[in-house]
Order: sequence, then C-alpha cells, then structure tokens
Amino acid sequence: MAIILEILLYLASGTFYWWWTQNLAFFGLAPNFIFAAALSAAILAGPVKAVAWGFFLGLYADILGVSAFGGYALTYSLMAYAVYVVKRHFDMDSFFSQLVAALSLSWISMFFYQGLSLVFFRINPTGLKIFLTEPFLNALAVPVVFQVFYWLKRRTGIL
Amino acid sequence: MSREKDAANYAVVFFAVLSVLLLIFPASKIAHTARIVASYSLYPSLHYGARYGYFVRNVPANFVSLLSTDQENRALREKVKDLEVKLLNASAAVSENERLAQELRLSHTLPWAGSWARVVNKTPSDWYGSFFISKGSDDGIEVNDTVLGMQEGRAGLAGRVFEVYPKFSKVLLITNSAASAVCSIAPSGLEALVEGKGTWLLKVNYVPEQSELAEGAEITTASGGLLFPAGVPVGKVTKVYPRESFMNFITADVTPAVDLNTLKEVFVVRRHLQQENIPAAGAER
Repeated sequence: MAIILEILLYLASGTFYWWWTQNLAFFGLAPNFIFAAALSAAILAGPVKAVAWGFFLGLYADILGVSAFGGYALTYSLMAYAVYVVKRHFDMDSFFSQLVAALSLSWISMFFYQGLSLVFFRINPTGLKIFLTEPFLNALAVPVVFQVFYWLKRRTGIL
Repeated sequence: MSREKDAANYAVVFFAVLSVLLLIFPASKIAHTARIVASYSLYPSLHYGARYGYFVRNVPANFVSLLSTDQENRALREKVKDLEVKLLNASAAVSENERLAQELRLSHTLPWAGSWARVVNKTPSDWYGSFFISKGSDDGIEVNDTVLGMQEGRAGLAGRVFEVYPKFSKVLLITNSAASAVCSIAPSGLEALVEGKGTWLLKVNYVPEQSELAEGAEITTASGGLLFPAGVPVGKVTKVYPRESFMNFITADVTPAVDLNTLKEVFVVRRHLQQENIPAAGAER
C-alpha cells in the first residue's frame, strides 16, 4: 500500500510542477518542485529510500529536458546522500535549516549539473536568470513541500 | 547505524553508477529503456493534464479574478453605503430647503419683526413643556419674546421665550400646563383664557355658558393679552364640554395651530417687553 502511495506522491509532485510551470510561471521562473520534493524526501526518508527518491525524481527532471539524460538523476541521488550525511549532524527539521539547505544545495546542484553537461555533452544548459533566481524560489518552496510530505508521512506512513 | 550507513553507501553507489551509465551511454539500450520507463511518469501531467487541463488551467486566473471581484465588490458596497447616506442627506436637505423657503416667504408676510431659530433640543420628559432654540441674547433674543411655528403656510403660536442664554434660549410651549394666553374666539371675538394641558391639546376656560362656542372655531391671541401680540393663531376648538351643574362657564379642547412635535424652526417675534410690565399680564403665563 505504501509503495502505491509513494508512486502516487511521486507522480503528483511531477504533475504539480508541470501545472505550476504551465500556469504560474512568472517571467519564465518557477520554483523547482522536483528539487524541493527530492530534498524533502531526503530529509524525511531513510537513506536508501531518500537516494532512490532522488534518483527517480532526477529521472523525471531529466525526461523533461533534452540535455544530459541521467544528469539530474545523479545530482539528486548524490544530494540525497549528502543530506543523509548532513542530517546526522544538523537538525534539518527546522525552517531555517531547510531554507539554508535549499539555497545552498540549489546552487551546488546547478553547478554540478552544469559540470556534468559540459563534461559529457559540451553544452551549457543553465541560464544566468535561472541561476540567480531559482535558488531563492526553491528556498521558499522547500519548507512548504516539506510540511506536506511530513503531514503525509504522519498520516499514511510513507517515506 | 553501520548497517544503515552501508545500505546508504550501496544505494548511492548503485544509483550513481546507473546515472553515470545513462550519461556515458545515452544512445545505449539501457538508456533507451530508462527513458521509456521514465517517460511513463510524465503521463499524468502531459497526457491527462493536457486532456483535462481545462479543469485546472484557469484556476490561478480565476482565483485572481475572484480576489479582484471580491475587492471590487467590497469597494462597491462601500460606495453604495456612502451614496445611500448621501442620498438620505440630500433628501433631508431638499425637504429642509423647501420648508425653509416656505417659511422665509411666510415670514415676509408677518407683521412682526423677529428672527428665525432652529429647535436644537427637546427633552422627552418635558415633550409638551419646553424646547431649546439656537439663538440667545447674542442674537437679541429676550425673555418673553413670542415664539411662532409655521405649518401649512401659516404661522401659529408655539410659546414664549422663558430663559435666555448667550447662545441659546429655552421656550415655554403653549402646551405646557403652566402656560396660558388671553385669546379671542372667532367669530364673536369673545375673549377667554387658553391654557396648556401638558398634552398635545390646549383647553379654553372661563367661557360664559351663553356664548356660542362651537367646534371648529378659530382661536387667536387677543389684544387684551400682554405677553403675546394680537392676532396670532392659537388653534381650533375641537371639543366643547357641557356646562357642569355647579359652574356657570364652559370649557373646550383646542388643537394647537402648529404641531409642536414636528417643529424644526421657529420665528421669534421681538417683543421688547419691559420686565416691570410682566406682572400686569395677570392670568397670562
């Protein structure tokens, strides 16, 4: 039952991101809810499940683009592992730590993905506008998504 | 803890290797399969979303529209309230204007000099006894000046100035049970004393029983009185009481010429009565 709910949550996360970008994108900018879902899952779930969530959400992000397929999968998998390491030392449940984590990990992920794209495909996918603004939007989105995931975890036992 | 760490390490290595393989061999069979599998996760949004998107597509726009409509609705409600108040004020102003214009026209026809004053206070406990007007000694109002009300295009006795303050005065109404006036009853010109009853009616006393006092007879102030100028309409006889066996005069109820309940402005007639003349007024109060 839990696995079905997790698949539904996974699909719902992607669908919500799609809906937001279709209807609420402002000057081509929108919070990256895939990233926010990956980070929230990494905070809430155990390490294996967190890395798996990162990988599959990364695949979802990859399939949305045309560049490095597997790039986001690798990025979010490693991010989930990094969060697993970090959360043993820091309280990641608090709003402020989520904000800081979202901001810093957004930039690190972008740099990492940029590096992967340059190394494997010689392309430069991330625009400066996205690079400068999206981390702040993500920082706002992550606490909200975290609360939703946390509520679902308490209610249904998923993650 | 160590097992969990090991599992985490294995997991990250597994998924990292898988990702790197996808990156290194983008055209390989494994990458192609992964693409197909991953593409199914786009189904809810791209296929069903596009198909049923019209249900949710306009949600943000509708929400914004709803908010703006709500704000507009609130603003319009405020405006409607404001306009209703203005309309009420305007209609009150129009009726006041009509009334004042009529009174002003009428005051030009009056044979007495005086000034207009507003009724500024009526005490419920003394409703038929007195009220305050907006003019006082600063405006030349003096004690015992006659106060007239206007109704249906004609003046009528309302009372007299009883107390004067610099900015306002108190009027003793003719309906006050302590007020009275020497009056003349039409058509015979018979003089009698009209007194207040403390109600909306007056009574006329000391009318000789042989006089022809009839209902509907007009009563005006008489020249024999000192407090009020002669010829001011006081009221109409509405009911004549039969003579009591032990009395040799009759009484009657009189409806005042002006409805003291509805007076908004009054005309104060300057009398310049010398205070020493007041005791000469006799029964008139």
